[in-house]
Amino acid sequence: MSSWSSPAATAVEDRLFRALAVLRAILLVNAVVLSALRADEVERPRALAACVLVMVVWTAVATWAYAEPRRRTPPLLVTDLVVAVALLLVTPYVTGQDSASVPGFWVIGALVAWGIRYRTVGGLVAGIVLATADLVRQDIDPSDYGNAFLLLLGGTIVGYVCATLQTMATERDAALHEAAVATERARWARVVHDGVLQVLALVQRRGREIGGEAADLGRLAGEQEIALRSLVRAQDAAPVAGGMVDLAVEVGRLATRPGVTVSAPGYPVELPAAAAHELVAAAGACLDNVRDHVGDDAPAWVLLEAFPDRVELSVRDGGPGIPEGRLAAAAAQGRLGVSGSIRGRLADLGGRAELVTGPDGTEWDLVVPVYGRAHE
Amino acid sequence: MSDEAPVRVMVVDDHPLWRDAVERDLAAAGLDVVAVAATGREALARFGATRPQVLVLDLQIPAPDGVQVTAEVVRRDPEARVLVLSASGEQADVLAAVKAGATGYLVKSASREELLAAVRRVALGEPVFTPGLAGLVLGEFQRDPDQPQLTDRETEVLRMVAKGLSYRQIAERLVLSHRTVQNHVQNTLRKLQMHNRVELTRYAIEQGLDEE
Repeated sequence: MSSWSSPAATAVEDRLFRALAVLRAILLVNAVVLSALRADEVERPRALAACVLVMVVWTAVATWAYAEPRRRTPPLLVTDLVVAVALLLVTPYVTGQDSASVPGFWVIGALVAWGIRYRTVGGLVAGIVLATADLVRQDIDPSDYGNAFLLLLGGTIVGYVCATLQTMATERDAALHEAAVATERARWARVVHDGVLQVLALVQRRGREIGGEAADLGRLAGEQEIALRSLVRAQDAAPVAGGMVDLAVEVGRLATRPGVTVSAPGYPVELPAAAAHELVAAAGACLDNVRDHVGDDAPAWVLLEAFPDRVELSVRDGGPGIPEGRLAAAAAQGRLGVSGSIRGRLADLGGRAELVTGPDGTEWDLVVPVYGRAHE
Repeated sequence: MSDEAPVRVMVVDDHPLWRDAVERDLAAAGLDVVAVAATGREALARFGATRPQVLVLDLQIPAPDGVQVTAEVVRRDPEARVLVLSASGEQADVLAAVKAGATGYLVKSASREELLAAVRRVALGEPVFTPGLAGLVLGEFQRDPDQPQLTDRETEVLRMVAKGLSYRQIAERLVLSHRTVQNHVQNTLRKLQMHNRVELTRYAIEQGLDEE
């Protein structure tokens, strides 16, 4: 949406015009007081009084007119500027001398109105018009030139600031809107996912109880349940820095393998993508090993722990363990196999892999050092 | 079943299919299902009227949600036990419920036997941990240095739970009694909940629970 017509831009304009109304009142008081003080010095006091009346009436009209967005039309702004210019130009006639102008600072009202409504260009145009009028009415000396320059500069700056504010407000509104849409979408997704998960869990549970073909259905439902759950986890994960991934999410995907339970912290564990993928691949190799040596659906547990200086991933199974000497024997025969590849992967990451095996299972502990990871 | 009075249970779930299935299973096993509820509001009202010992609670229920219900139930009756039975397993919710005072957590795909065993254990005040929950709790202690820290033994036990070892296996490995292993697990929960009490109070005030 354009930053000229968006509701946010209009809201910014409204605020600025409300502020301008206050400024106009102050400028008017200032002009009235100054005119009263010099009423005796001017050549035509009645004309000065008429000018003051014009300022009072126009300030009231302008305050009313600018309050409503639909009334901020070119005729209004042009009239605003014309009144200010006219008051500048009648100054020599009213005062009969080369002195301060009749409206004085009061012309700022029109200048700022142009800046707010027509932004940088509007402020510049109004500044040029007012500065020219101010210079035309008098013999120019250096201080007059300064005033003209300030008018020019002031109008442009007000216009620029207004444009910037409107653009920012429009962008902020768009961002807020997008965030609200995303939140709503996520809320709906959660409701739908929860419903699907409920049904999958129920099918799984009843299927197992009924047995036979229903048990197969139940097993399928269980696989889908785990897949959907890791998807939900990945979607809910907080965004991580570029080149990094949330290791907890990556490890969570291992749960889609039959029999595998994954445990991890409830917050993102950031790791460079390449290292994370290597580590997860190593854990996958451990799980392949479980499948090969313990059984296809053999239960296995994966635990991810995040410490300030390292991450630890352990993969455990409840199998009979690896008989003593078998790994050494395999290595002696030149068959480095799985354990060699797991150790190799971890060594490449600057970490280490340790194997603990016993009668109640085999456990791989994969440790990767993490440098400079802020302690959360 | 022993000749003790049956455990008084309330089932809270907004899915009728599930609520009925769980209720049926519990009743068939001789437990006394004193109430069921579909929303947090119903749950709190019926909790007051029926005083169950154990709440079997889904976290995703119409307001107040499962976490708020847990906090309120434990506040009203510190002897009441909450077993969270969740389908979606959303980590943040499960952790919040445990911090709010839930004693156990089970995923909905758990078998009927697992559910019954969990309800009975929770009724006795024994914590029911899945490996997943143990991993979450471990993470909380590792993340927050302001937490009252776990002893080395508690960490060791919790880590073993997270790696899928049963209390019996842990007791054997560490040469401890089953009861001692349970106490270690219970202590980790207590530390987590104690640290959370201040945060919880603030949470309850924010959610307007203190007005009830």
